[in-house]
Amino acid sequence: MNQLAKPQLADKLDPITLEVIRHGLISISNQIDANITRTAFSPYIYEYKDFAVGITDADGQLVAQCTGGMPPFVADSVGTAVRDGLKTYGKDRFFHGDVAVCNHAAVQGQHLNNTVMYTPIRTPEGELIGFFAINVHWIDIGGSAPRSTDIFMEGLQLRSVKIWSKGEPIEEVMRIIETNTRMPIELLGDISAQLAGCLLGRDQVVQLAEKYGVPTFRTAMATMLDQAEAAARARILALPDGTYEHETFLDNDGEGDTPIPVRVKVVIAGDEMTVDYSGLAEQAKGCVNSGYFGGGLTTARVAFKYLVAADEPANEGLFRPLKLILPPGKILSAEDTAPMGNYSMPFPTVIDAVIKTLEKAIPERVTGGHFGTHSGFRLYGRRPDGRNFDGHDSGHGGWGACATHDGAGPFRTMAHGDTRLIPIELQESLLPYRVESFSLRADSAGAGKFRGGLGFRKVYKMIAGCFMQTNLDRTKFPPWGAQGGKEAQSGRVVVERATGETQIVCKAKGFKIEAGDRVTLETGGGGGYGPPAERDLAAIQRDLDRGYISADAATRDYGVTIDKGVARR
Amino acid sequence: MSYVVAVDIGGTFTDLVAYDHEAGKVTYTKSPTTYDDFVKGILDCFDKAKLTPEQATFLNHGTTLVINAYIQRKGAKAALVTTQGFRDVLEIARGNRPDPFDLHYQRDEPLIPRERRFEVAERMDSQGNTVTPLDIKALDALAETIKREKVESVAVFFMNSYANPAHEEQAAARLKELLPGVYVTHSTELTREWYEYERTSTVAANAYVGPQVNSYIRSLDADLRGKGFEGSLFMMGSNGGLLSVDRTCRTPVALVESGPIGGCIGAGAYGEALGFKNIIAFDMGGTTAKCALVENGRFSVDSVYYANGYVKGFPIKSPVIDIVEVGAGGGSIAWLDSQSRLHVGPQSAGSTPGPVCYRRGGTEPTITDANLVLGRLNPAKFLGGELSLDTEGALNAIRKIAEPLGYAGVDGATRAADGILAISTVIMAGAIRQVSVQHGLDPRDFVLFAYGGGGPLHSAALAHELSIPTVVIPPAPGNFSAVGMLLADARLDLAKTFTGLMDGDSVGSAEKIFAEMEKEAAAALGREFGATDIFFERFAEMRYVGQRHNIKVPVSGLSSVAEVRAGFERDYKRRYGHADAKAGAEFQALHLSAFARQRRPDLAKLPDVSAGASAGGERQVWFSSIGKMVSAKVFDRYALPIGFKGEGPAVLEEYGSTTIVGPTDSFEIGPLKEIRIFCGK
Repeated sequence: MNQLAKPQLADKLDPITLEVIRHGLISISNQIDANITRTAFSPYIYEYKDFAVGITDADGQLVAQCTGGMPPFVADSVGTAVRDGLKTYGKDRFFHGDVAVCNHAAVQGQHLNNTVMYTPIRTPEGELIGFFAINVHWIDIGGSAPRSTDIFMEGLQLRSVKIWSKGEPIEEVMRIIETNTRMPIELLGDISAQLAGCLLGRDQVVQLAEKYGVPTFRTAMATMLDQAEAAARARILALPDGTYEHETFLDNDGEGDTPIPVRVKVVIAGDEMTVDYSGLAEQAKGCVNSGYFGGGLTTARVAFKYLVAADEPANEGLFRPLKLILPPGKILSAEDTAPMGNYSMPFPTVIDAVIKTLEKAIPERVTGGHFGTHSGFRLYGRRPDGRNFDGHDSGHGGWGACATHDGAGPFRTMAHGDTRLIPIELQESLLPYRVESFSLRADSAGAGKFRGGLGFRKVYKMIAGCFMQTNLDRTKFPPWGAQGGKEAQSGRVVVERATGETQIVCKAKGFKIEAGDRVTLETGGGGGYGPPAERDLAAIQRDLDRGYISADAATRDYGVTIDKGVARR
Repeated sequence: MSYVVAVDIGGTFTDLVAYDHEAGKVTYTKSPTTYDDFVKGILDCFDKAKLTPEQATFLNHGTTLVINAYIQRKGAKAALVTTQGFRDVLEIARGNRPDPFDLHYQRDEPLIPRERRFEVAERMDSQGNTVTPLDIKALDALAETIKREKVESVAVFFMNSYANPAHEEQAAARLKELLPGVYVTHSTELTREWYEYERTSTVAANAYVGPQVNSYIRSLDADLRGKGFEGSLFMMGSNGGLLSVDRTCRTPVALVESGPIGGCIGAGAYGEALGFKNIIAFDMGGTTAKCALVENGRFSVDSVYYANGYVKGFPIKSPVIDIVEVGAGGGSIAWLDSQSRLHVGPQSAGSTPGPVCYRRGGTEPTITDANLVLGRLNPAKFLGGELSLDTEGALNAIRKIAEPLGYAGVDGATRAADGILAISTVIMAGAIRQVSVQHGLDPRDFVLFAYGGGGPLHSAALAHELSIPTVVIPPAPGNFSAVGMLLADARLDLAKTFTGLMDGDSVGSAEKIFAEMEKEAAAALGREFGATDIFFERFAEMRYVGQRHNIKVPVSGLSSVAEVRAGFERDYKRRYGHADAKAGAEFQALHLSAFARQRRPDLAKLPDVSAGASAGGERQVWFSSIGKMVSAKVFDRYALPIGFKGEGPAVLEEYGSTTIVGPTDSFEIGPLKEIRIFCGK
């Protein structure tokens, strides 16, 4: 399915002009990134960075992308949309000043909020040289995820629909969008930021192309792809050939309670890497599915970038040496009509599993498993004075240790990036609870020569009754260790009733909480790296002094004896 | 004879500028920075300039002491005292990974490790009501522990203290009493804004440098007084204003960008005098290039600053001038990656070993080496001839990267050197675009005001890249940071979280709070500077109801709901391109800036006309725009009279800097002896 035309071998181009154009294109996408962050309305954009800015060539191949942005978007979500648009309209029917959008599940294969907007880049003479595209998480597009059972319950689908034509808005389409969202003010605000970014970016690319001439500019774009490809091939070539596998499971799809297999295979052969997802679970009943491009290809590319090309700017060339085997109908290659509201739920575990396969091949890069779940946590209801409230407070957890140091965190998952947690002082001013403590969760990390990162423990004391929705996965299959490191603890939610009764909950919808109850969210830690027996005694002592590990855990995991607070082997 | 003096301690040199108000006479001098004892470098400058501290009435001082302590982790052994349950706020931070694909990403360690973060029972709610009273007995016991651990400073942070600081103040007072000789600071004396991590991080940062800054300033003051200094010592704050010694000792964190701030103040002052409303201040030094915007005479001030950068560093909630910095300075290294792609920076050869041409052991080609190879620097007249540059060494270093790129021989090295400059221009232009775009402004509407050793060398090319029509180079661009410090006013910023729908009641309450803040600020400036002529600027952080981020709206003189609303909508529209007439607006915070004017030197007297740093004549200079070496006229900058007009290509030399005028550009010496370059097509 992933068949992209390989460009003709680039003509000889002087290397300095090439570099100036390359820096110029990346600088334009970063500048538009800053522009979107500044002008967007919803916190999804300026706090979660749930967007990406990209430039494609005239065939829709990603050439340059902003350096920030969410990992799942870096894997060419914008190029996928542009190529569908090209199939729909052809190059000739994309006029200067046209702007199109696409969130269609059959194309993007993710939840419908993720909407790519793009505009053709044409020279003043009318020659098509590329597209400027921005993927933004639209705050609301209707629908009823996460209770959906097919994509039609999840909102409005727009497949390669023009919203502007030749520099003028198409009012009818804008009205359709405006009348199909619960939050028209915010959405239209975000759309105008996205639109302004596309147009400004387009004009800057034209300026750059004109400065060096269109033939040179085209050659530069093609060469950038070839160079990225060569860089990626060189790195893969340095890895030992072989077939590497890992198997783990997700707890369930949120509907039943059957574990979902995640079997992944990676083949390194010469300068190519193949990710084989044939062993993945079939499409699920719950809305945790994604399509071939939005799920399968995306997770494979994200893992590939983590493993072999973290510092290479993403473009289509970089991913040419990556092959994907993924039959249709799997959880990451679901049918076009499958429910996808929580499409990214499996991503952290899938990405983590692909990384784990290469434990023996590149021990210096691979880490212990991370806590690996979105840890969705939501308290909502009605205050005593009748006003509604709704607080989302997703968990951050520990990351795995690596060959040179302890794991870090708590951070959000491998499918997140620069996503910040919500300050408690802000929460307490808006929501009817008081946080009694917010601390690192001792002993949550996996032991090892290098210990995993710690999860956290957050204790909420409810002032008003409410409902709780939680979605903590990887509780039956905890974050693994690497190279002899131990596994970490999973996350959980503990509800302590005012009556003294205690319940442990991991996934719940509409779970009743009473005023006076205490709810504790504990997030998972990261896996350890290397045998615990090899851990430096001074590091064990420091962890004891700091309370990262308890005396019991030190004795159990590291076999030390503790006398008056001093650890001895 | 009496002088006002400004001293800027930089990484390589300590710069001193002295100005005699009566005679209108300026003296510039510099001396190597003395790392073991900074005061010595300052006294060396006095000696070199044949001045004595006795003659100085004011001494304004900027230093990189604080930022260096954070980056090199050379601060105090500090402890944190915080609310029961919250000692890990400092370590968990905001849980984000700004570098999304780094599997091994780690944030810098917190300034205070977990074993020295102590909890005490107390709690306020979000309204500022006491939920749990402060446990004084437990606090007293903690003081014993802190004493036993030989802690040098203590930061106090309590949850929701922004709403009511009573517990925090009580605890800080008690700890000061119990721990004589230990530096004690609490979060709400630094900021009254919410967000627990940012406030904890700020107070921890303050405690971390408190003892060091106190002892530095006390010894500077004592040493100067020992040499007969009887004037007033002021420190340069990151907000662009002067700070008194007492205030600096209480809030040393306010010095975090004390060093680079001077140039921005100077750019603002020159802009005002020359009638340029909108300026991009551009400073290129040895390791980085920095830029900041001055719009309508004001530079924008950010209320969150990240020490050691956003990617790994920690936030400081203190007003810091909004500066964008990129790794492109004279010492930035040009290198090839595995695919033979040419990069410039961010690694820098710094001042030691420095560029290859400095002959101090540098081996990697830098931006300065490229400038030398292209004839843009005069090897015999660098720093007025104090350093003779090695052109051949620079050329050979550049050949090392030119040849893999397919550029052979001397001609090829020239092409590669041109490439190094072209790439650095793109990087610097990116920074300028970023700072202007972030404020919704177009760089073409600005004047590019360039200083620092490298600013004048690169500014014309940069202006072409950005389509900026005019470049201005002030006198003494190499000393400009110190010059700017002479031009600073006293300034005090206060901020307070203030939430609520914008209506008659809240506008009235805001007015009362502003009036109290003004009273407090006026009293402080009166006490610290003896100032009576004080003026204020008021700002409100506002947003539409239900939004999650705010814009900072100037509200001075706006007293009715309608006026505040109009001000909010005007700013909102500028930033977002549209405004919503129907939606309600709400307040989030109030900010007050108070200024006390200081007597400024006469800008026309600042050029040091006695400097003769160039032999004039002509030399071969490479210009990227025409792709060849051409003969360019060389001028001694200060030999040119006001009103002098010339055509490019031209080189204007002076001590510490070189200005390059392109072949299609023209230039003129302006009324303050500034160079104005007009970029032609």
